[in-house]
Amino acid sequence: MLKLHYNLEKISMGLVAAIIVAASIGGIVEIAPLFTIDETVELPDDLRPYTPLELAGREIYIREGCYACHSQMVRSLADELDRYGPYSLASESAYDHPMLWGSKRTGPDLARLGGKYSDDWHVAHLIDPRSVVPASIMPSYPWLTRPLDTDLLSDALATLARLGVPYDEDMIAAAEADALAQSRPDSDAVDGFLERYGERPEARVFDGDPSRLTEMDALVAYLQSLGTLTDAPYRLLAEGSQ
Amino acid sequence: MSNPTDPRQLPGADPHTGNRKIDPVTGYDTTGHDWGGITELNTAFPKVVIWALVLTFLYSVVAWILLPAWPTGRDYTRGLLGLDQSEEAIKGFNSLADRRQDWLSRFEGENFVALQSDATLMATAMPAAARLFADNCAACHGTNGQGGPGFPVLSDETWLWGGDTEEIATTIRHGINTEDPDTRYAEMPAFDWMERSDRLALAEFVSEMRGGVADFESAAGTLFSENCSSCHGETGTGGLEIGAPSFTDEAVIYGQDRETLMETLRRGRHGVMPAWSGRLSEAEINLLALYVARIGRPEGGGQ
Amino acid sequence: MTASLSVSERRVGMFLSVLLALMGLAMAASARHGVMSAHGFMALGLGIALAFLLGGALYDPEPPANRLQRYYDAPTRFGLVMTLIWAMIGMGIGVWVAALLYWPEGTPPWPATSFGRLRPVHTTGIIFGFGGNALIATSFHVLQRTSRARLADNLSPWVVLIGYNLFCAWAVTGYLMGSTQSKEYAEAEWYADLWLVVIWVTYFVLYIRTLARRNEPHIYVANWYYLAFILVVAMLHIVNNLALPVRWTTAESFPIWSGVQDAMVQWWYGHNAVAFFLTAGFLGMLYYFLPVRSGRPIWSYRLSIVSFWGITFFYIWVGSHHLHYTALPYWAQTLGMTFSVMLLVPSWASAGNAIATLNGAWHKVRDDATLRFMFVAAVFYGLSTFEGSFLAIRPVNSLSHYTDWTVGHVHSGTLGWVAMIVFGAIYTLVPQLSGKTEMASPRAVEWHFWLAVTGTLVYVISMWNAGITQGLMWRAYDENGALSYSFVQSVEAMAPYYLLRTIGGGLFLTGAVICAWNCRATMRGTTEDATDRPLVAQPAE
Repeated sequence: MLKLHYNLEKISMGLVAAIIVAASIGGIVEIAPLFTIDETVELPDDLRPYTPLELAGREIYIREGCYACHSQMVRSLADELDRYGPYSLASESAYDHPMLWGSKRTGPDLARLGGKYSDDWHVAHLIDPRSVVPASIMPSYPWLTRPLDTDLLSDALATLARLGVPYDEDMIAAAEADALAQSRPDSDAVDGFLERYGERPEARVFDGDPSRLTEMDALVAYLQSLGTLTDAPYRLLAEGSQ
Repeated sequence: MSNPTDPRQLPGADPHTGNRKIDPVTGYDTTGHDWGGITELNTAFPKVVIWALVLTFLYSVVAWILLPAWPTGRDYTRGLLGLDQSEEAIKGFNSLADRRQDWLSRFEGENFVALQSDATLMATAMPAAARLFADNCAACHGTNGQGGPGFPVLSDETWLWGGDTEEIATTIRHGINTEDPDTRYAEMPAFDWMERSDRLALAEFVSEMRGGVADFESAAGTLFSENCSSCHGETGTGGLEIGAPSFTDEAVIYGQDRETLMETLRRGRHGVMPAWSGRLSEAEINLLALYVARIGRPEGGGQ
Repeated sequence: MTASLSVSERRVGMFLSVLLALMGLAMAASARHGVMSAHGFMALGLGIALAFLLGGALYDPEPPANRLQRYYDAPTRFGLVMTLIWAMIGMGIGVWVAALLYWPEGTPPWPATSFGRLRPVHTTGIIFGFGGNALIATSFHVLQRTSRARLADNLSPWVVLIGYNLFCAWAVTGYLMGSTQSKEYAEAEWYADLWLVVIWVTYFVLYIRTLARRNEPHIYVANWYYLAFILVVAMLHIVNNLALPVRWTTAESFPIWSGVQDAMVQWWYGHNAVAFFLTAGFLGMLYYFLPVRSGRPIWSYRLSIVSFWGITFFYIWVGSHHLHYTALPYWAQTLGMTFSVMLLVPSWASAGNAIATLNGAWHKVRDDATLRFMFVAAVFYGLSTFEGSFLAIRPVNSLSHYTDWTVGHVHSGTLGWVAMIVFGAIYTLVPQLSGKTEMASPRAVEWHFWLAVTGTLVYVISMWNAGITQGLMWRAYDENGALSYSFVQSVEAMAPYYLLRTIGGGLFLTGAVICAWNCRATMRGTTEDATDRPLVAQPAE
């Protein structure tokens, strides 16, 4: 091997080729099978994609860098099941472009956050975390009360649909209207929203102010959706722990 | 710059390394290459590196044999141990549950009086309850149950929906204004249809009720009787058991000042307490109910 | 810059600048508003400024006729200046975000000053701004010296450096405006990623063309590493950043990968950004500057070979150790863990090779702060690679992951290894490229060294404590089988460590500022290229 290298280091393009080969093998062996082994991701029947409003909220979550301090991945460890709930499944993030599993828990894991606290709490907490949790070191996000820009939503859904997320043409066309409808449960538009997304995503005035569609509406809708896209993790844990 | 200080020719120099120079410090010869003054020693390959490579490789081979390791197209090698990380996690979780089974299972029943009188049991359970409270309840109700605007105080004597431990357990289990079919339901409607001047008068009136100076004979008093008393009581003492706050005691949810009352009247209130039955076990909910009930009493509760 | 270019090169440069300006105009005009438009205006402004700079100098005298018989050091000098500027930006923001974790309301809650937006400015500013500029600048120097050949042309080094810094500036200003892909260490949006591909190809072509002109048939170790850095970073960057823009006129895009595959691709990228950006490139730096400064031959050529191929082959497998116990299949985790353990041997072989090279020069290590920087870098390289392999073992990772232990580990690598070797290289290069024998203030170098070492130790030790405390608190059970601590208690327990790490970071930053000042004082008034070691071969004009 030393001899081989001794000759190789005299040929620059040979060295280039050898580096590319040596550095490609690991990635190919580890990444490609994730697409071919079926049990890697087993999509449950009840898995739903994000609604347009939740998707807009997810973009805000990304924009503000929430993923830098919060994971969305309950690991398969007993104490994490105890503290956070069922371990996360690969299928739960199958429609997540990109995934937000996170790498740090400066704050707690959020994979099972949906439904844990009320909308009002999220609003109060996001505007001033220390007003509700005095020991919190989370930043304040007072600017989230500004209006939500829904201009890109249809194109965003269309792009995700091209990447394999099950949004149909009606959903893409009505994305902006559906975002508004989900935050105005008393409006007529909510019927269309329910028709397209079913009963499970909740239509509510997330930020407490029905007169405006704000970034807060979107972000809270997203946070309330975390861990609720499928019941599969809860089913699996219940089966296992009996 | 880096020329060895004592270079000398060796007879029978290696054809590959050519001009061999002995480095006086290490005693090794150089490879004969020179890159702008940098040279390299022809030091023999250290044996320890080979051993270390072999050792780490052996470790890996053992791991590959025992654990799931190599993908094989549409499948992967399972490993002799046949481990599955989810199963392992559930196994660990179940053994945790077994460890606390003997005391936690006693909270599955709702005989709170008996539970509470068992001092040993309470000493065992309260730290667990405190942790559950801190991870699940404290975000809204405060670390010591002190509450905050919109999030009721738990550490006082006033209870919406009743302060019996059973009632608290029901509130925790099904929540208030949730999707749970057995949820408690209470809504303060918006009075935005009312003239602003009337709302102002009403807010003024309610804000004075606590001091006992509100005049029920006034126009505002009439407004109160016509619009509010069915829930909040003829004299404003509330309908605590149906979730309607009293205006005559010290407790508030959102606030009893004029400004907050105007906001309440204009928009209404629809406070939500999440249902915990899907997230916590029956025993944990009952344990928390006991803990919460004790926060409200001077002798017990939060640490 | 302009004085070292011939008139015809200045013309081509002007043309390229106008092209850049037009591209910026097209971006700004088609995006109309938002981040992409702001970035279009940045490119437009840069293009116009460069066009004026070159245009104004168009009729200046031609550079000296013998310029091609000398090394081309002006780009290296520029790259080092950018390195120091980014060092102060990146480290300054690092200290800022560290302070925010202790004083969450220390700075006003504006979008652009929020932790979540500043944090990627810190990571990108340090990895790409500080580290990347240092790598490109030193690679130009090392490549020329070890090949005894001048850079293959005079314009492309500037394209690489200026284009690369535009990428960095786009990235960090994008985050401040709320534009990010959220993929850690690859947050820049799609058009910036595409731009970087163009720059990177230019860099590779320049590198390989210059290497082809070498006057020593063998390619030196440092260049193997720089080559691996250039090639593999290109591969990682392209695969991880594959994305579909929502519209061609907006910054928003969606990565083509999702869920578990995205996680694997992301950490395949993320860990190999550590491997091939923060390790391979800097090993190239170490393999050149350590023997030069110590005046010693590399201890073992054979060991160099084994370490190089070991690092190149093993590293690429280990990314999955970032995903232990997650929804990534167990088999991929096992591979990540085992290859991480095997990786320790080539890593330590490199560190050992570097330290053994100092045999016979220990008196210089004692006396020369510059060489001491490199020695400490090699030591920290050894320590953090050991720690890395250790943390990659699944049960250990179950404790350390998600905690500040990881942060401590990363910083023992970045502060202790990467930054130290960069400072060692800077203190070697700056006087040489300025035609001086030593830095303006050798005492300041000494101060910098001790500030850097103290800062690193304070930082790393406080983060070890923080991380282990956190990890243990999260999984602590009382004797009755109930979790002992709530999450928020673990947050409260972090306060003293977060304060200490801010202080440690502050010390390190102070050292970097002293270094920048010292370099400025040393470089002031330099116009000539270094005339050390003239080329042997003299290619015709």
